[in-house]
Amino acid sequence: MTTGNVLLNAEHIDKRFGITHAVNDVSLTVNAGEIRALIGENGSGKSTFCQMLCGIYTIGGGTFTLDGQPVNVRNQVEANNIGISIIVQEMGTLSGLTVAENIFLGHEDPFMHRGIKDTRSMIREAQKLLDAYGFNGIRAGAMIDSYNFEDRKLVEIVKATYMKPKILIVDETTTALSQNGRLELYKIMDSVRADGRSVIFISHDLNEILTHCDTISILRDGEYIDTVNSKDIDEDGLKRLMVGREIGSAYYRTDYGKEISSEVVLSVKDVTVPNQISDVSFDLHRGEILGFGGLSECGMHEVGKAVFGASLDRIGTVVLADGTEINDIPSAIKHSIAYASKDRDNESIILNESIRNNIVLPSLDDLAESHILKSGKLNRFAQEFADKMQTKMQGIHQFVSDLSGGNKQKVVLARWLGKGSDILVLDSPTRGIDVKVKQAIYALMQELTAQGKSIIMISEEIPELLGMSDRILIMKDGKINGTFLRSPQLNEEDLIAKMV
Amino acid sequence: MSYRDDNQQSKLSAFFGSDTFKGLLPFIGLVVILGLMYWLTEGRIVQPKRLRLLLSQVYYPMIVATGVFFVMTLGSIDFTEGSTLGVASIVISVLSFYSIPLAIIGGILTGAAIGAVNGFFHVKFRLQSFIVTICTMYLFRGVCAYFTTETAIPASAAIKALDSDGLKIGITLAVLVIAFFLFRFTRIGNDVKAVGSGETAARFSGVRTDRVKFLTFVVAGALTGLAAFVNVIKVGSITATAGNQLETQILISLVLGGLPITGGSKVRFSNIVVGTLMYTVLNNGLVMLGFESATQQLIKGIVFLIFVALTIDRKALKVIK
Repeated sequence: MTTGNVLLNAEHIDKRFGITHAVNDVSLTVNAGEIRALIGENGSGKSTFCQMLCGIYTIGGGTFTLDGQPVNVRNQVEANNIGISIIVQEMGTLSGLTVAENIFLGHEDPFMHRGIKDTRSMIREAQKLLDAYGFNGIRAGAMIDSYNFEDRKLVEIVKATYMKPKILIVDETTTALSQNGRLELYKIMDSVRADGRSVIFISHDLNEILTHCDTISILRDGEYIDTVNSKDIDEDGLKRLMVGREIGSAYYRTDYGKEISSEVVLSVKDVTVPNQISDVSFDLHRGEILGFGGLSECGMHEVGKAVFGASLDRIGTVVLADGTEINDIPSAIKHSIAYASKDRDNESIILNESIRNNIVLPSLDDLAESHILKSGKLNRFAQEFADKMQTKMQGIHQFVSDLSGGNKQKVVLARWLGKGSDILVLDSPTRGIDVKVKQAIYALMQELTAQGKSIIMISEEIPELLGMSDRILIMKDGKINGTFLRSPQLNEEDLIAKMV
Repeated sequence: MSYRDDNQQSKLSAFFGSDTFKGLLPFIGLVVILGLMYWLTEGRIVQPKRLRLLLSQVYYPMIVATGVFFVMTLGSIDFTEGSTLGVASIVISVLSFYSIPLAIIGGILTGAAIGAVNGFFHVKFRLQSFIVTICTMYLFRGVCAYFTTETAIPASAAIKALDSDGLKIGITLAVLVIAFFLFRFTRIGNDVKAVGSGETAARFSGVRTDRVKFLTFVVAGALTGLAAFVNVIKVGSITATAGNQLETQILISLVLGGLPITGGSKVRFSNIVVGTLMYTVLNNGLVMLGFESATQQLIKGIVFLIFVALTIDRKALKVIK
């Protein structure tokens, strides 16, 4: 443990939500000039802990002390005022406002003259900040809605850091950022540390954590486990601490040299979706995991939608081995194609529905007996596949909105296992999911391909592409820009070279 | 506070916040309103004569409400029931001089056609249903007024001769039973609920969402057309005010019955029956108590506000599609 000036002292922090003990008597300290990672599986309490610190949730019990002063804030603006700011996991900007109004939200006073806002000076100040951060492409006077998710995250970063907070909390922000955006964020974190201030960094990407953080605190099921120095530990060691048991070496695939079957199950020919992808052609072979990689705007996510018949305005053909053309979602599902979207909460599952209804939905036609659906049969079906995926739930009638990210993804996979799909299109299958569930998903993918099913895996995680794919197609600007075969010699740089 | 207190309190509040309790509220409301009216009218509201009158006001709103129930399960809304009922009633009255079956079919087709117009604009032009149906409400209200301003349109004596409780109960029950079966035991109910709970995810699960939405509006219109038939045999001639304010009556009945305005997975078929009954009991009770119609409106408004404030699921509140 490094010794230094203690900046933040958390003592016996506690929080309950109904019967869930989200944070259980957590005590830890963060030193000045330190980047501290906070890790743990989904539901381990890391976000809740931070959200109490910055006034999003009320503190259930215990005390935070910042620079010797007790922290007792009721909202984010008050937290900002005493030097705590947060960049949240989901969208943290308000639509309908300009970039400048978002940056100075809650801190408009310097621009107010007798109750009238001086818009021009606010925009000027905001633009100065954006330029100073090197985000020249963003116009302070423009509406926030005219920017994409990543640019809005950059605006949030400015908003959270321009007033030089004593503590900057970065809550799983990097999953929303491309490589470039991440580099910008790391630079800012480094400058916070250089100033003798501190960062609390939450992420599931252990590699990223080991590279960019000084110390790592581990939470498990709401309890504090340990704090370790980054240089004294490796990924496996962290996984062990997070899960509380040996995770084993079988995380990614370990086999190399598997023969790819010559049997083509799906052929994509000259597929173009205006402004997204152009002239994409490839074959998917039986029993293969075909990886798609690239920068987040490269069009790979649209490829998944195109295969599933979900793209609007698609040109070109998607044909199965027997000549069936796939042009819409119902025919894709009928002909054994499954799709798990990157946008899990909107496209993969119906949040305001029960686990049961989510699992049975694509299979209703198969389950109906002369058009009649019997409750008992649907229940058994949903139970069988939810159990097969080891979904953590109170029962199949629980609403999906209550589940953690990993369990939601299990529900998604359960429905397609139930449907018995032979071709699975998995877009970012482990996005925002903890190691234990990740491992289960990788194991399932191998089990499915061993049964002769084929998988298209679209991923923004390069290690995942290298670790799981038989073949990797790298996309750039809507086109396929490189093809790689599975090999132990293949490394991240080879793929990145084709991405940028 | 010790943890034990905390748990006990949370158990109790968990029950009042639970879906089970929320599901019971409309039934409790119906019993309360019935009890209150029984007490205020000193029991007169349950006299056989009164009950018959009360029932006669239930049939056609319940048929209409069944169609709107499906529309609202989608998370959409329909304001055209009143004007549809008016136009369909005119068609039925005119056709009733030629043939009764033709009149019924004509009424249903008229309603279905208006539903198709609503569905077409809602689905093809991606307009919100409340915008579309407010526009078409004025349009068809205008059509109805055009034909009825000079004189009321009479229906044939043959169709008026059909007026009997047996027929009206039969039609209403048949609609409810068939609708319940489709809602509960077939893909139709599942698809409609899925669209209401999450349209995008439903589409990605293989639900043909555009078709489901269009057909739901067509069916809702057709049911209003059928209700128009029940209305014509009861009233005998059609004036410009036929079906006036029916849309708000239906909307309020369904909300009183516990239907979440966001639609989706939390709707219950019982919402139709409980809501329509509650509205009719309240309406009749106020008439029996001798309030003037202005006072009646005022009281109804207050009761609805209180009821909605008590029962609505604030977590699910969002814009209606």
